[in-house]
Amino acid sequence: MHFGKVSIHKRESENIYLLGIETSKEIIKNFQPGQFIKIKINYRLDPLIPRPFTVHAVEENNFYILYQIKGKGTKALSKLKEGEEVEFLAPLGKPFPVLQNYVICAGGIGIAGFGYLLQCANSKNRFKPPDAIFYGARSKSELVRLEFLSEFKIPLEIATDDGSAGYKGFITDLIEEELKKEHKDILACGPLPMLKKIAEIGKKYKVRTYLVMETFLACGIGFCRGCVIPLKKGGYIHLCVDGPTFLAEEIDLETIS
Amino acid sequence: MRLSVNLNGLKLKTPLMLASGTWGLGDNIDKFFTKEEVETYIGAFVTKGISVNPREGNPPPRLCETPCGLINSIGLENPGIKEFKAKYLPMLKIYNIPIVVNLHGEKIEEFLELVEALKEEEIEGIELNISCPNVKKGGISFSSDPKAVEDLVKEVRKSWDNFFAVKLSPVGAVFEIAEICQKQDVDAIVVANTYPALGVINLKPLKIIKGGLSGPAIKPLTLRLVYELSQRIDISIIGCGGIISGKDALEYLFCGARAFQIGTANLIDPRNVIKIIEELKTFEI
Ligand SMILES: Cc1cc2nc3c(=O)[nH]c(=O)nc-3n(C[C@H](O)[C@H](O)[C@H](O)COP(=O)(O)OP(=O)(O)OC[C@H]3O[C@@H](n4cnc5c(N)ncnc54)[C@H](O)[C@@H]3O)c2cc1C
Ligand SMILES: Cc1cc2nc3c(=O)[nH]c(=O)nc-3n(C[C@H](O)[C@H](O)[C@H](O)COP(=O)(O)O)c2cc1C
Ligand code: FES
Repeated sequence: MHFGKVSIHKRESENIYLLGIETSKEIIKNFQPGQFIKIKINYRLDPLIPRPFTVHAVEENNFYILYQIKGKGTKALSKLKEGEEVEFLAPLGKPFPVLQNYVICAGGIGIAGFGYLLQCANSKNRFKPPDAIFYGARSKSELVRLEFLSEFKIPLEIATDDGSAGYKGFITDLIEEELKKEHKDILACGPLPMLKKIAEIGKKYKVRTYLVMETFLACGIGFCRGCVIPLKKGGYIHLCVDGPTFLAEEIDLETIS
Repeated sequence: MRLSVNLNGLKLKTPLMLASGTWGLGDNIDKFFTKEEVETYIGAFVTKGISVNPREGNPPPRLCETPCGLINSIGLENPGIKEFKAKYLPMLKIYNIPIVVNLHGEKIEEFLELVEALKEEEIEGIELNISCPNVKKGGISFSSDPKAVEDLVKEVRKSWDNFFAVKLSPVGAVFEIAEICQKQDVDAIVVANTYPALGVINLKPLKIIKGGLSGPAIKPLTLRLVYELSQRIDISIIGCGGIISGKDALEYLFCGARAFQIGTANLIDPRNVIKIIEELKTFEI
């Protein structure tokens, strides 16, 4: 585990927080977009297992995660104060694939990992900027980091379930409209029903479709074999070492609930 | 305190063994430890359970966290003995520490086939898993059937001269099976595997996981088993259940264990191994 110090901890919406961790450049220089960290929460026995979060952004010797409160782990995490020491394991998992003509699709907290992708694409490394960002949430108040996202000057399409911002309805409707006009690959992260819909759309328009998947993780490093995702051809793949990003056509989404 | 232990010929530099299934097959050790650290801190490496044929393991969900514990239902995912020998064993042998192969079979013949396949390899020991709660026809029947264990252990002892341990289930005929192991010249018993448990992942619709409970939640239970077995039976005991600190390990050593294994602690932090041994060293005993 590496050590770091909370440099910023800020509420971004009712239950989404931005947590900045100051650590050494040596550690951060190995981070790639799409990879995640596992953070130990308060040295307690409960929750026992450190929780995984995608790298949201990087700035000099700080990295950021953007997280949503789900249960006891994230609730305890939200109590961390600036200046407190944290322990984490990183970087874990495989980076996002390098795509050329593609769009990003984020549902809710699924936006988290794309911040760092945009930063990397902006600094002209091997990652390329997407043609557009499609970002959906339940309502306007749950859309976070809009200012940060707008810095990259990439078209941002918004949808909310209640119509309080952008298009009223699912973000997948907007993606489908876009693909009707021009075929583009998709990189998507968000709730499972959204990912299932994206996989359908990707198949219909015959574009390469990548999905960022989630499961409960224990080790996060391939030891325990606990994080399996079923494959269409049979057998399993391990989210923590082979993922979390997978080609939609390879995974058996129907059996995942 | 003095750390080295001799378990009926199995020489451990430290009493800490990596419990089966929590460090995979050792193919990732170099990402977390230097060679020197491995050889300084890890008494012995115990592999994930190996079966004759490859096993895909159970469908998800395979894990569920509970207060201070973890339920797993991995279903013994492993590449099978042939690939283990060809691909993984050479990577483990880079390190100058004893290798103990954890074996899983559903019938006596399968265990014997595994033992036969390992005879030509330079490995220090085997550990029979007769206690996995996560395979349907599997070990659980052994742990409630002392006669079957007796037949199994007798046959394995005949064909395996090196270190030979049997890993017990904490439930079932524990004392009877421990006595059988002693009588049949088994070198050590590992006390114990996980406890059969159930976790609720979702209420509506109900989504549950049936598996084995490990971690700090089980420590007082397994500690009692170790203590009571050590009072009654004269066989080396390797304590295993819920150790995540040097103090936990010390409690096991004082309550009758000669060595200990750590499992869930590795999943929390792979470098817990070092923390535990460093803490153990500070006790003046
Ligand atoms: C690679 C990866 C990256 C992630 N990145 C982010 C991120 O950037 N931001 C973010 O907010 N979140 C992210 N997550 C999700 C985040 O890790 C979880 O929301 C968090 O661990 C929840 O912890 P908790 O203790 O708060 O909730 P928990 O108490 O663990 O419960 C959360 C929910 O999960 C359910 N659950 C518990 N165990 C299981 C199981 N075995 N299978 C299925 N469901 C289960 C519970 O019933 C509950 O509804 C990521 C997850 C992964 C795997
Ligand atoms: C993810 C996981 C996988 C395991 N796989 C095996 C296995 O293949 N064979 C075995 O004998 N025990 C297996 N175990 C049991 C552990 O080796 C150990 O006996 C148990 O977890 C109790 O120790 P702990 O509380 O330190 O984890 C596994 C445990 C976990 C958590
Ligand atoms: S979480 Fe342990 S192997 Fe993936």
